[in-house]
Amino acid sequence: MILPIGPIHPYLKEPLRLKLQTEGEKVVKAEIDYGYVHRGIEKIMEGKNWQKGIYLSERICGICSYEHTQTFAEVIELISGVTAPMRAQYLRVITNELDRIQSHLLANSTFFKSMDHETLFMNTLALREYAMEALELLTGNRVNLGWNVVGGVRMDAEKKHFDAILRKLDKIEEGFYRHKALFEEAPVVGLRCKGVGIMTHEEAVKGHAVGPIGRASGIKHDCRQDHPTYRDEFEFKPIWRKEGDNYARTMNRLNEVPQSIYLIRQAIANIPDGPVRVPVEVGSGFGEWRNEAPRGEVTYMMETNGNLIKHISIRTPSIMNIDTCARYMLNGVATVSDALTTYASCDPCIACTERVSITDAATGRREIKDFYEVI
Amino acid sequence: MFNSLKDIVRKSSIHVCLVNCGGCNGCDIEVVALLSPKYDLEQYGIYFHNNPREADVILVTGPVTDQWVDNLRRIYAKAPEPKIVVTLGACPQTGGVFGQEGGRVNAPVSDFIPVDAAVPGCPPRPDEILAAVLAVVPGAIAAKGRAQDKGED
Repeated sequence: MILPIGPIHPYLKEPLRLKLQTEGEKVVKAEIDYGYVHRGIEKIMEGKNWQKGIYLSERICGICSYEHTQTFAEVIELISGVTAPMRAQYLRVITNELDRIQSHLLANSTFFKSMDHETLFMNTLALREYAMEALELLTGNRVNLGWNVVGGVRMDAEKKHFDAILRKLDKIEEGFYRHKALFEEAPVVGLRCKGVGIMTHEEAVKGHAVGPIGRASGIKHDCRQDHPTYRDEFEFKPIWRKEGDNYARTMNRLNEVPQSIYLIRQAIANIPDGPVRVPVEVGSGFGEWRNEAPRGEVTYMMETNGNLIKHISIRTPSIMNIDTCARYMLNGVATVSDALTTYASCDPCIACTERVSITDAATGRREIKDFYEVI
Repeated sequence: MFNSLKDIVRKSSIHVCLVNCGGCNGCDIEVVALLSPKYDLEQYGIYFHNNPREADVILVTGPVTDQWVDNLRRIYAKAPEPKIVVTLGACPQTGGVFGQEGGRVNAPVSDFIPVDAAVPGCPPRPDEILAAVLAVVPGAIAAKGRAQDKGED
């Protein structure tokens, strides 16, 4: 029988329909229905200048909103041949890693909720609030930060802000190891996620899995290795695991939180003085830039004509991760409730995903295509 | 009789269903942040249920994309009377940043379902959402329930 889940469901905060083909409780095939969040952002951006484009790019996705604006700013800086001042780059790293901490903790708390582990869910959300407070302290906003501009960041931070951020990080770290042990060592939790929703290394490569989902299946790649600021200024090594199950994905995300804390501490210790923004004369041309969003690699390809955006194409990580989830992870999952935890473990972000819509000119019928159909 | 009893109870136990009809997720994660111990939604008698069939309050976020036009009406019809609709953020009111030329959105939400209250902001802060729901919902549910009672008698 086919069991539809969503678009409104207690565990799915975002609208999406999972169609599970089941034999008894066992899931034999899974299919995903997209198309509830298609808004046409790329089309709206065309013919506008970057000041109008950057806040649209921020609203592609609310959870990883920061990384979208950074990539947007960096691709225009690449086209114009400008580099942001070093202090602005450091501030970008601090904000990026704070955003990663809150996103990973939110994703994990959703996973714990889908496992019905209320204690971990509440504790992880409580820890996340410290990261949100730090972000609000630094930028003035909680979710859509409005922090990046082309040529730097919007405003400078002082020593008292950095001190307050360090205190918040101490608090996150203090609670983090306790809760991580609760997940790592408790036998019930382990039984519930070890060996469930396995994606092998070959499948991850074939399905283009990115980010923590790919790294949990043994893909040793993190876009931060190739980013100029991280490569030249910071000590950084990607975290990866071999198992490829729900446990590995969650642990991989958990382990990236102390790594981000370490990166922020490095940044605050070594931040240079100087301006935070340089004026930019936007040039014409084509540029492509990749960054590591909390969910994986996000790519911006942009063609500008003078100050105006001629064409823009955005690829977000979730489109690959959700498809690998439907194709490989959900196949053969023993029960329907495990299917939901598996889906939550791939950290789906639907708002990112839906920007491809194809209109049949003859009939006028519109449909939203997924990644594989378009390629 | 039963309805008036239910009204008294419902004023202090509010079941909420969150419907994201195409937003950027920002408002939704602020609603999730409300569940955290810092804000502690359940202390105020609000239960985050996400099932339209048991909801007293439907929180709508997002600018109503094409796929949601019919589905939003269907979800509204599924919620039992008396029901309150509160919209969160700029999108359900005006389309927000997506309500421009080229955007595939059908905002405002009030074109499709009756809206009782709106919380502006992009996104509104969690405490604002909480304050709005607590300010508007108990009174509105009671008023709607009384109107329904009169109709039945």
